[in-house]
Formats: sequence, structure tokens, C-alpha cells
Amino acid sequence: MLPKQTKDQRLASLTSAIRQVAALRDKSAFSDLFDHYAPLLRAYSLARDPGADLIADDLAQEVMSRIWLKADSYNPRLANLNTWVFTLARNCRIDYLRRNSRLVSDIDPSEIFNEIEDETPGPLQLVQQERQHRDLGSAIARLPKEQAEILRKVYLEGKSHQQSSEELKLPLGTVKSRVRLALKKLEILVKR
Amino acid sequence: MNHIQNHPAEELLTGFSAASLPLSQAACISAHLENCQACRQAVAQLNSVGSEFMQQLKPAPASAELKQDLLDRLDDLAEPAQPGHFQNEAIPRGLRQFIPGDYSKLPWKRVSPDIHSHELCRDSNGAKMELLRIRAGGKATTHTHMGDEYTVILEGSFSDEDGLYHRGDFLVRDASHRHTPIATRDRECICLAVTEAPIQFTGFFGRLLNPLIRRSYA
Repeated sequence: MLPKQTKDQRLASLTSAIRQVAALRDKSAFSDLFDHYAPLLRAYSLARDPGADLIADDLAQEVMSRIWLKADSYNPRLANLNTWVFTLARNCRIDYLRRNSRLVSDIDPSEIFNEIEDETPGPLQLVQQERQHRDLGSAIARLPKEQAEILRKVYLEGKSHQQSSEELKLPLGTVKSRVRLALKKLEILVKR
Repeated sequence: MNHIQNHPAEELLTGFSAASLPLSQAACISAHLENCQACRQAVAQLNSVGSEFMQQLKPAPASAELKQDLLDRLDDLAEPAQPGHFQNEAIPRGLRQFIPGDYSKLPWKRVSPDIHSHELCRDSNGAKMELLRIRAGGKATTHTHMGDEYTVILEGSFSDEDGLYHRGDFLVRDASHRHTPIATRDRECICLAVTEAPIQFTGFFGRLLNPLIRRSYA
């Protein structure tokens, strides 16, 4: 049996797969991307709508289609591949909610969320970003349970702070301060 | 050049990154981000937090049919059409869907001698998203609101009891906050304002109260 790939190795091979897709329209490389990301995308959808397998299938197909179509606009200097896929998934989730009018709003979200990208970072920033990203997974694993719980609600279940506070029977202020404490522990933010 | 002093709170940026905010609030954040590199970088980091949480999920396997169905369609996939509205660089991207041309061509409604407003839309939570235009040196009437009010300055500057604000500044005022914004004298000030909906009372006494509440909301 082959040794299990480390996270970094897996990310590197996925990143080279997306280059193949972009440059050569390589369907077997795309199939590798599908095998890795589609189950995660379905899990992301199911985290918000437990039991809704058809919605999960739709979201997975939609995001994978966007990966196929946008592969050449993926820039590894701006975001690592996992993060890029997460933002595509998030954008698809909003589109889906809006189309299915569980969220009736006159606002078209596509231009609010799409492509607010930063200028290409300098080399120093890039090294810093990579180091930070590598540490992020273990930093999240070390978060106190109640802080991780809220971030999970916000990011995966798509709950507002208000909804989180109702579900967890906590004052809104406590929810917000747990988010802030978690970000501080993750060393996110913000020189301003 | 970055003189922005007023930023969205961390938990709002987190909600933006997770897309768990009402779209009207997300639109305000997005207008701020276009002007604020520090917050853009923070959001990029927050996106990687979201991505880590997604990576840690227990994968939910996709069926072979699901994969084959997509593989069969790959060659026919086409980029969805880009929205065709007018692209005015001076207007934040998320707002261009509501503004065909530039600010001056909108059907502004006079609120007072100093202030005009133009409602852009309503959000699913009932929040009102509007533009406010304050004449140079003009003064808004002292007001409070029913819910929170989010403001982003798009053009010009204004001051109130708490400070002086410029393009890109992001402010949240809660219902208890009384304030009197005054535009600076050199030029008019245009703001994006999102006001959360007032609570609607029902029942006999409630219906008597509603017009009063709506007036303070408007």
C-alpha cells in the first residue's frame, strides 16, 4: 500500500492537477480533483441542510463545473487551492439560496462576493501566508471547543451570529466575543 | 493614502467571509473592502479559516453516476452570462446593479433641504438599503433608528458628534445612538445606508403605534 499522502503533498498534487486542467483541459486531472473535492463539497452542503442529498449533489456539481470553467483564472499566488474552492462553494451556496427564494432579497450577490481579490502579494507576504496557512489547521484543532463550535456554525452551517446565539442559548454578545477570541488565537487580524 | 479609520468589526468580516450575513450588510462590507486593503487581507485570511473547516469535514462520498454525469457534460459547459449592467468605476461593484449610470442621474427624493435619498432595495430581512446625499455643509436632522444602521461613505466626508469620516469609512450605529451628521463644506457627501426594519406591532394598540414607528424609521 502506498504511504498516505501528507496534507501538503495532497495539496501540491491537487494544485498540479488544476494546472493540467487549465492548460490542457485534462479530464483525468479533473477527475482527481472531483474525487477529492466533491465529497467535501457534499459534506459542506449537508452541514447546512442535513439529509438534503439532492441539494448536496447539485452544489457539488455546480462547484466542480465552475472549477472546470475557471481553472485558468486560479492564481496560486492569491490563495491556496483549498481556499479558492471554499470561496467558490460559498458563492454557489448563496446563489442557490437566492434562486430557491428561501432568501428573498432584491440583491444579486454575485458582484458582492465574486473576485474581491487583492493585488498580488509580495514575496515576503507570500512566505508569511504559506507559513500561516500551514499552521492554521493545527491552530484550529487547538481552539477551545466552544470557540470552534461557533466558527463551525458560521462557516459550515451558514448561521448568522443571531441564529447561533438562539441555537446555543447564549447572549449575542457572548457569541461575538467568542468569534473575536477565536480569531485572536488563530492570529488573524488585523493591523489597522 | 489609507486614511480609513473606521472598519467593520471582526465578527462582521467573519460573517462576510462565511456569507452568513444578510446581503444588505454584505453589500456594505463589500463597498468598504474596495477601499480598504487591511480588511481585504483580513478577509483573505478568514477565507482560509473557512477552507480549513471545510477540509476537516467528514467527506460525504459522491456517487459514480454523479461524477459520470458531470464528466459527460464537461465539453458543453459554458460560463454563465456576466450581468450586463453599466460599469461605472466610481461606484462600488456590488451597487452597480442598482445604478444605471452615475449618482447624479438617479431619481433622488428630497427628504429635507439638505438631504436627498434614493432607495436601492429591500433585503430578505426587511432591511432598507438606500443612498443618502447630503449637500455640502448640509446637516441631517438628529435621528435615532429602530434597528442597527450601517453606513459606508462613498463620496465626500461628513462629521457627527463622534468624529470625522471619509470615503470608505464603515460605521454601525445602534438604535440607542442619536446622531446629527453634517457634510463637510467642500463637497456633497454620498453614503450607502442600510437600516434594519422596525419591529411591526400587531393588535389594536400596535396598529396605532406603527405609523409613529415608521416615521422614525424613514
